[in-house]
Amino acid sequence: MRNKFWYLTNISLKKKIKTKWFLIANIFIFLGLILITNIDSIITIFGGEFNNDINIVVIDETHLSSATIFKDNLENTNNILESSAKTNVEISKNSIELEKDKLKETNKILIVLEESKEKVLKAKIISNDYIDTIYYNTLLQALTQTKTKLALDKTEIDEDELNKITSLIDVERTILDEDKTEENEEMSMLTNALFPTIILPFFILVVFLIQMIGAEINEEKQTRSMEVIISNVSPKVHFFSKVLASNIFVLIQSLLLFIYGFIGIFIRINLANKIGSPNSITDTIGGYLDTLKTTGFIDKLIYVIPLIIILMILSFIAYSLVAGILASMTVNMEDFQQIQTPIMLVSIVGYYLAIMQSMFKGSIFIKILSYVPFLSCLLSPALLISGEIGIIDVVIAILILIGFIYIAIKYGLKIYKIGILNYSTDKMWSKLFKAVKQKEI
Amino acid sequence: MLSVSNITKYYKDTLAVSNLSFEVNDGCIFGLLGENGAGKTTTFRIIMGLLDANSGTVTLNGEKIDYKVTDKIGFVTEERSLLTKMTVKEQLTFYGILKGMSNEKLEEKITYWLKRFKISEYENRKIKELSKGNQQKVQFISAILNDPVLLILDEPFTGLDPINVKMFKDVIMEMKNTGCSIIFSSHQMEHIEQFCEKLVILVKGKVVLEGNLKDIKKKYQKQNIFIQGEFDKEKVKKIKGVIDIKENANQYIVKIENDDCLDEVFNIVSKGKNITKFVVEEASLNEIFIDKVGICYEK
Repeated sequence: MRNKFWYLTNISLKKKIKTKWFLIANIFIFLGLILITNIDSIITIFGGEFNNDINIVVIDETHLSSATIFKDNLENTNNILESSAKTNVEISKNSIELEKDKLKETNKILIVLEESKEKVLKAKIISNDYIDTIYYNTLLQALTQTKTKLALDKTEIDEDELNKITSLIDVERTILDEDKTEENEEMSMLTNALFPTIILPFFILVVFLIQMIGAEINEEKQTRSMEVIISNVSPKVHFFSKVLASNIFVLIQSLLLFIYGFIGIFIRINLANKIGSPNSITDTIGGYLDTLKTTGFIDKLIYVIPLIIILMILSFIAYSLVAGILASMTVNMEDFQQIQTPIMLVSIVGYYLAIMQSMFKGSIFIKILSYVPFLSCLLSPALLISGEIGIIDVVIAILILIGFIYIAIKYGLKIYKIGILNYSTDKMWSKLFKAVKQKEI
Repeated sequence: MLSVSNITKYYKDTLAVSNLSFEVNDGCIFGLLGENGAGKTTTFRIIMGLLDANSGTVTLNGEKIDYKVTDKIGFVTEERSLLTKMTVKEQLTFYGILKGMSNEKLEEKITYWLKRFKISEYENRKIKELSKGNQQKVQFISAILNDPVLLILDEPFTGLDPINVKMFKDVIMEMKNTGCSIIFSSHQMEHIEQFCEKLVILVKGKVVLEGNLKDIKKKYQKQNIFIQGEFDKEKVKKIKGVIDIKENANQYIVKIENDDCLDEVFNIVSKGKNITKFVVEEASLNEIFIDKVGICYEK
């Protein structure tokens, strides 16, 4: 004889996985991730009337070799910014009007350098179309550097002195708090940028989890098959089988998302090497990994990641327990959609707080919220990575979550037992409070 | 043997079942009748262990009904308790496994019953694609797959045509002959009359009539005389003990209190013209039910 709990869990899991919709959804997710991670390479493969090269025509009316200085400065700035666009600078002797006429047929940028008695140098930037904001700022930066060079030349400062003046300032960063290091600060900046991307899949999976449990329990209630099921297995077995199956499903889906992501990056690296397209994402990832190594964060991850995984798994369990209890109280999916809104709102609040926490460094309110079940899974990792809380705080959040799960099981099962066989919404709350007061389940 | 002893159930202040007791012996079919909201479903739920009674006990072969015992019970609910996205085979396997059956036994039973109910070709069809009658067959098969010792049938003939009703009846009688205790609830009294040796009629949770069907009918005393032909109806109406005369399908139905007035009625009718029929019959269960419950149930 099969164990009924495992059988129910297995059936519930199969219902979610062995469907064409699961397959179709995953095909779309897979293709979506591949597309997102390779979008620029794909655009390059298909070709089209686009050109990353930027052509600049410079007319120098200063008679101070300003155009040559500007050209050098622009190249230097581009190198520093690691811009993927190739910049061609042409110094023209033509008149402005003639070059303006030519602009109408091209996407060139015309820069006219003029001498200014008050401000050494002034410039006109003329183009037929809009200029990308980032590139416009690059041009401004190169022009300003040109102006500085011309001004310094006028004061007859030699090149060594000039380099000293124009080079970046040496900064020695000191943080007095012994628990905080410069590397962590760098890491904090890095993770603040990365974190919203990391927790988004977790947030989406929480939404999946709640919806799945609600839909399954309501289906069994609406078809009244619940009566036959509950006459053969206890509500406890039924409840835990739903919780376990949904959590296994979410873990499988998480794993698949990781695999799709890695495949996307793998394809990107290979595709980029073959077609020689710019590879900013992989370069960025490589850069992040280097930073992680140098900051010693990799060593930290050995105990940080297990804690975060534990917190997330426990949070999935807590979410599924509450979703199951709420689903048992409703009589159809419409009712469930309404009753689950508060949990969804709580998780949305957690998500935004996790993203915004870096703006409120040292907030006691956010720190307290990071211990609260449902919020802790989103907030604690964010605060831990940014150095706002320590490992001990995460452990406290985990312990509080375990306590919450214990209470949810203890009282939630009583509600579940009454709720799943209740087909009326009349006096629902009084029925549930009465259920909670019952001694036995 | 199923034994229900003095069960009482309140939903807050509303009395759902009041001090109900009955026994269903092995190989016996028991009728549980009542208008909508009389407490039948509550009683079934208490028997199945889905609800706790405020007082009273329910035992099956001397054992309290719990999850060790429910594997031996088959339950056909009033609504079709089927997961409509499953195929017929998946659904039957699902309920069979929950009844503790092995895969081999299940395979054998599913094949047998699908063939017996002539729905083998729908084995891999989704439940939602089946007609109401075929869905009812699947539900019925799911209740008898495990060869139950107790079978609870709440309106089992809903949505069935007369041919399929006969098919169901044959199987129910087979189950009875193998010693299965059966509790039966139906709105159609002729089914109850046909099947049940014993019955209980509930009104608002209280027993208004109970016992052996034959004894109930005997005790009820009221009878119907079916007459075809011309006779003096006014004279018959005036006889003490005659309740009413109705004309129905070329015949008259004379309702009488008991057989004390039978001779007097016969004397008057015999003086009539073209008398071709004079038949005395016991009151139907439907009449007894309407009389006791006070409403027309067959509507």
